[in-house]
Amino acid sequence: MNAFLTSRPVSDVLTGVTNGVIYALVALSLVLIWRSARLLNFAQGAMAMIATYVGFVAIAPHANYWVAMVVSVVAGCLIGALTERGLVRWLYGKPELNPVVAMVGFLLVLESVAAAIWSTSSRGLPSSFSPIDWQLGGRPLALSPFAAYEIVTALVVMGFIAGIFRFTKLGLRLRAAALAPEVSRLLGVRVNRMLTIGWILSSGVGAVTAVLVASNYFTGLTPTAMDGVFAFGFIAAAIGGLDSPGGALASGVTLGIVLQFVSDYVNANDVILVALGLLIVSLMVRPNGVFTRDAQRRV
Amino acid sequence: MRARLAVAGALVVGVVATALLARARVAIVLVVCEALFAALAALWVSPSWRAAHPVGTRLAQTVMTVDALGVASAFVSTSVNGNLEAGVSMTIVLLGLSFLTGSSGQISLGHGAFMGVGAFAAAIWANHHAHSPVVIALLAAVVAGAAVGFLLGLPATRLRGPYLAGMTLAFAVAFGSILNAFSSWTGGDSGLQLPTAVSAPRWLVDLLPPSDSPLAAATVWLSQISLVVAGVALFAMSNLFASRVGRSMRLVRDHDVAAELAGVSLPRARVVAFVISAAYAALGGALSTLVNNSVSPATYGFALSITILALMVIGGIGTIPGAMIGGLIFAYSTSSISWITARLGLNPQGNLASQLNGIIFGVLLVGAIVAAPMGIAGAGRQVARRWRERHHLRAD
Repeated sequence: MNAFLTSRPVSDVLTGVTNGVIYALVALSLVLIWRSARLLNFAQGAMAMIATYVGFVAIAPHANYWVAMVVSVVAGCLIGALTERGLVRWLYGKPELNPVVAMVGFLLVLESVAAAIWSTSSRGLPSSFSPIDWQLGGRPLALSPFAAYEIVTALVVMGFIAGIFRFTKLGLRLRAAALAPEVSRLLGVRVNRMLTIGWILSSGVGAVTAVLVASNYFTGLTPTAMDGVFAFGFIAAAIGGLDSPGGALASGVTLGIVLQFVSDYVNANDVILVALGLLIVSLMVRPNGVFTRDAQRRV
Repeated sequence: MRARLAVAGALVVGVVATALLARARVAIVLVVCEALFAALAALWVSPSWRAAHPVGTRLAQTVMTVDALGVASAFVSTSVNGNLEAGVSMTIVLLGLSFLTGSSGQISLGHGAFMGVGAFAAAIWANHHAHSPVVIALLAAVVAGAAVGFLLGLPATRLRGPYLAGMTLAFAVAFGSILNAFSSWTGGDSGLQLPTAVSAPRWLVDLLPPSDSPLAAATVWLSQISLVVAGVALFAMSNLFASRVGRSMRLVRDHDVAAELAGVSLPRARVVAFVISAAYAALGGALSTLVNNSVSPATYGFALSITILALMVIGGIGTIPGAMIGGLIFAYSTSSISWITARLGLNPQGNLASQLNGIIFGVLLVGAIVAAPMGIAGAGRQVARRWRERHHLRAD
């Protein structure tokens, strides 16, 4: 049993899941906004990164890790609300090119401002979880306390979001506002407020993701820490379908596992190439994602 | 008629001034350039000729621009020539992106990487065929860019805006790894050096004042090459915008269902737009490689792709003057930023100074797309139209 659990394929699956839950969280964050506003938030990673800086460097530099994390998530939600009210409001009803360009510009502003204030050098976050793998019968299991913490946190966040959407009145209103804005408005749902709440939830998820990424001993917190993660998260979301939260989660974890196998058996450099190839092939076969039901686009 | 007389008068003044001021050999070249410019200008000032010969008009405009800038490049300093070359390369890239976005309504966040494809293709070609002419290296870059554009354009046939943007973003992020995967060709992280620097031909060195260093002559020569290449690209693009292909693509952008009903094949139009656009970006990248004499993968990261997008939006989406304005902004961005840094009294090595470029471009990009989505060229066109309307009202 021990030999099986520490074997190469099982190690790859475990490492893959650890990476994959991060991609899944980014994908979830993108899907939350896409469903309500039909907008792909290219600044998602940068907004989350700023939230982490605010929590861990600006407001609570010497505080307990968990306090700083809560501050970061609150800051993330606030940034989401401000972005929606201050910038995205101006983009509804414009050609679909405009929001893409605006969010890319916003990404550039956020990353530059972060580097101007906090410099580009990497900072470690004081998480108390060891990045050293557990031992099993003298051989390393590809799972460390830190990896377990990442996976558990991701599952908690996913459960929380799923719970809101499935079991609360707010979740019902959010879904109604996304699927049929006009009808919901007639029925008394405040659609604009629902949009803002969607951004708050999405940015909160993003902030948790960025804290997890930056807590990693090997990467740390830099202004561009989320760039690579965002690219993989987008690929996961696009393969799973930007309309399907479940699909985004499933394809995020699957992508993490597949890429870990590529990295282990082929070459670590080729990971992003394989991801790009998977994206291109899956978009050509199913342009709206693997997990979404086909819907006719209205003219 | 009065306009033609004015052009002829200007020609006479120019020829006399040239003959008086310049050395004999230089004077001959300048007089030929001036005569060409004046002849084209004399045709161009007539509205009826312009209406009757649209292709001729575009040719005349292009030749006049290249002529004027080419003559000017021989009289300006080496650093201005360097800016001119950078701006011209970027203008070609922007023409490509502008065509993609302005005509077929698609967007690319990967044009920096397409530039890199051209840059590396030209460098690899030059390293394997040391004595082949510059034109062949540029053509190799165009072919490589078109091929990569075709590959990435295939999924674009079925994708709409944000998905496509995300895919090209993934390409831009992956580009460094792609180069690394072929490191025996591309030189990995350190990039490539070109085997021989482009040097000015004998006749140009003879023309320039003998006090000029060979380096200055080479810079002028590179400017001339860049301008001619840009002229060809500009002429082709201005015809493309106005052609059947360009018109069908604008229909695809504005109403894809109507385009399909009118017999335009959507997938084909989208792939063709992508191929042309990527080929232009590759040409611009190859040109900048020739000028810099080396190529490094770090140049072609995601940041460059965002810069290109910003330049296009600020200059004006889908217009040729917009691309030229964007190129001009790019050429002078570095020196403007250091001027601002000095003016604000910032530490040039500090965090803020090093990020000022990103902050300014980002704010301009967001501001432009929210407040003036047609950019500087669009705003200029609006002002010109208003002025013309008022003018006509008064004339009536």
